Amino acid sequence: MLLLQYHNLLIQSILTERFSQESQPVSIDQVISDFDNVTYHISTPESKTKILVSLSIKCFNDLKKYGVEELLQREYGPYIISPPEVGYDFSMVVDLEKLPPEIEAKEALVDKIALLKRNALAAPFEKAFAQFDELAAEAAKSSLDLSVPEDSGADVMPIHYRDEESIFIKASHDRVTVIFSTVFREETDRVFGKVFLQEFVDARRRAIQDAPQVLYSHKEPPLEIRSVPGLKAADDIGFVTFVLFPRHITKDRRENCISHIQIFRDYFHYHIKCSKAYMHSRMRFRVAEFLKVLNRAKPEVAEKERKTATGRRFGAR
Amino acid sequence: MSHLNTPAVVMGNGTGLTKLGFAGNDSPSFIFPTVIATRQASGSGSGRPPPPSKPSFLTGAGGISSAGGGNLSQKRGTEDLDFFIGDEALNAANGSGYGLNYPIRHGQIENWDHMERFWENSIFKYLRCEPEDHYFLLTEPPLNPPENRELTAEIMFESFNCAGLYIAVQAVLALAASWTSSKVQDRSLTGTVIDSGDGVTHVIPVAEGYVIASAIKNIPIAGRDITYFVQSLLRDRNEPDSSLRTAEKIKEEFCYVCPDIVKEFNRFDREPERFQKYLVDQGLGRKVSVDVGYERFLAPEIFFNPEIASSDFLTPLPEVVDTVIQTSPIDVRRGLYKNIVLSGGSTMFRDFGRRLQRDIKHLVDARIHRSEELSGARSGGVDVQVISHKKQRNAVWFGGSILAQTAEFRSYCHTKQDYDEYGPGIVRNFSLFNVP
Repeated sequence: MLLLQYHNLLIQSILTERFSQESQPVSIDQVISDFDNVTYHISTPESKTKILVSLSIKCFNDLKKYGVEELLQREYGPYIISPPEVGYDFSMVVDLEKLPPEIEAKEALVDKIALLKRNALAAPFEKAFAQFDELAAEAAKSSLDLSVPEDSGADVMPIHYRDEESIFIKASHDRVTVIFSTVFREETDRVFGKVFLQEFVDARRRAIQDAPQVLYSHKEPPLEIRSVPGLKAADDIGFVTFVLFPRHITKDRRENCISHIQIFRDYFHYHIKCSKAYMHSRMRFRVAEFLKVLNRAKPEVAEKERKTATGRRFGAR
Repeated sequence: MSHLNTPAVVMGNGTGLTKLGFAGNDSPSFIFPTVIATRQASGSGSGRPPPPSKPSFLTGAGGISSAGGGNLSQKRGTEDLDFFIGDEALNAANGSGYGLNYPIRHGQIENWDHMERFWENSIFKYLRCEPEDHYFLLTEPPLNPPENRELTAEIMFESFNCAGLYIAVQAVLALAASWTSSKVQDRSLTGTVIDSGDGVTHVIPVAEGYVIASAIKNIPIAGRDITYFVQSLLRDRNEPDSSLRTAEKIKEEFCYVCPDIVKEFNRFDREPERFQKYLVDQGLGRKVSVDVGYERFLAPEIFFNPEIASSDFLTPLPEVVDTVIQTSPIDVRRGLYKNIVLSGGSTMFRDFGRRLQRDIKHLVDARIHRSEELSGARSGGVDVQVISHKKQRNAVWFGGSILAQTAEFRSYCHTKQDYDEYGPGIVRNFSLFNVP
């Protein structure tokens, strides 16, 4: 498994099972976790046919500023209930008796619900892309030279999606910049992470020319977000900058781009862990090989003739 | 701290099945076989060039390339990520190029490389959680060597940086799961656990959270034997379908435990509606009907009268339970008799608990009667109680879910900081749950 999926597998499997024709309605009450402190709660509080799906996400207040409510309204319109379940930020109810009859439509609905977290986090990206469109149009109108980077008026949008880490998005007339701040609690992770990010930066130079530009800076926040208040400068913090150029965010690529970029942190950490697992398996292999060598080096124990206390020998049978 | 409100992860890795889920839920989120499919180093079929082997004086000198150079440590690409677990692994193995590996044998982890990657995939793909944010509760079989615990902790803390770890003995969790039963008044961790899965049945006495290792007994009769027994009965009668799957379905849907075989045979003769039919879907729209007769009560009977199915193991389950309790320290025996807890899929037969309770009671009463005769003193009698409850099938996981949900759970865990401070040795001991 090289890539992480965007949807939540568990929600998908639960709903697929519930939506199928043969299954009897049963009561569900499951708390499900997702990356970045996202918690789902799937339950059937009223009746067994009404499935309530709630989402709790840490940065919902940030997301609200960037129009998450409109986006969710667009995606899940008829299913949303308000106010949401107590302790959660967003709730929707699916009535099993009012499902679309076609299998394809059902599958589409399941996939859509499984992508709840992705869609919620997509709001600031969509907003940034819209800003980019505006700024680009404006720039074209005033016939600015597109190649000249210019500090545009769009604000940096911080999303504090974890306790110590944030995503910053900034739209300009010729690009959209996405910056991740990363914190490692562990020294080993930091080393692995540095190597990994170095590869990321180099990959573009070597082979994949079309990939977005990636920059990595340690401790020093990049210029784009220097102005953001409350930015911590600590020893263990690093910043990864993705520069999305217009060719990455053409209309048909946007959705894909959003999915890819918002899972970056999880992907990053997943691969650090995978590399560690790989290192461990190599270490185990090496130790086993060394043990073989050591075992070969053992001196042969010469079989001495054994005698009892009285001097009698053990006779061969 | 970020991980204060995230639910703890409960992982039960068994020989056959792995159960994954979050604490507080009433059933595991995922149940799939503990199997990992890795790419075989066959080379045939796949057009890929063989990966360059690592220059090493070891492999270079004697050509030790073990397992045909298939070891992961010689691969340079992303081969270590080319694997599947669980049901996907079984699917992948149907095609070419993948081979199945079972990292757990007899309840204990044998292949740590595979297990590490199995966990990696369970956590990131199935549970989708960042291990740094979650506490983990893992289960282990009784008599798991402490070295295995240490290796587990090394992986959990060093590879995954999990926030905290608790490794619990399965039998103790099964006891905790029985607290949901209405028969249980005091939430104690003293009792006898009868854990019957697919391969083997364990009888494990637990006193105040400690497993009495010297008294544990295993019985080689479990779910699979019952299925085979049903299958052999079907074959004897020349039923149109006597596949293992049919036998298993019949076992799960129709079988129950009767109080007395002879009476039950008579009842079947008097009431013909007790014979039932099972419709087997053989695929391609073909359906055949299989008669279900005496195996309904005969199959689970092999726990109580093993001689009808096996020729080498002849001790009935109630007797084994009685022996186990009698070999335990004398001061806990009362508690052990009073709290006999069932766990595992093969204890799900209707009236299994009732029959077991009756038979054990018989044995105990007979012994008390004899001692009363010999000594002339009156005995107060011993309370025998077998507890069955609704969560029996996944009792171990469910018990883990209950315990990991409690507010104190985190204080019993060893945290990453503890591990860094003291090393893997700390997981040799876990403080037991203080029972309210």
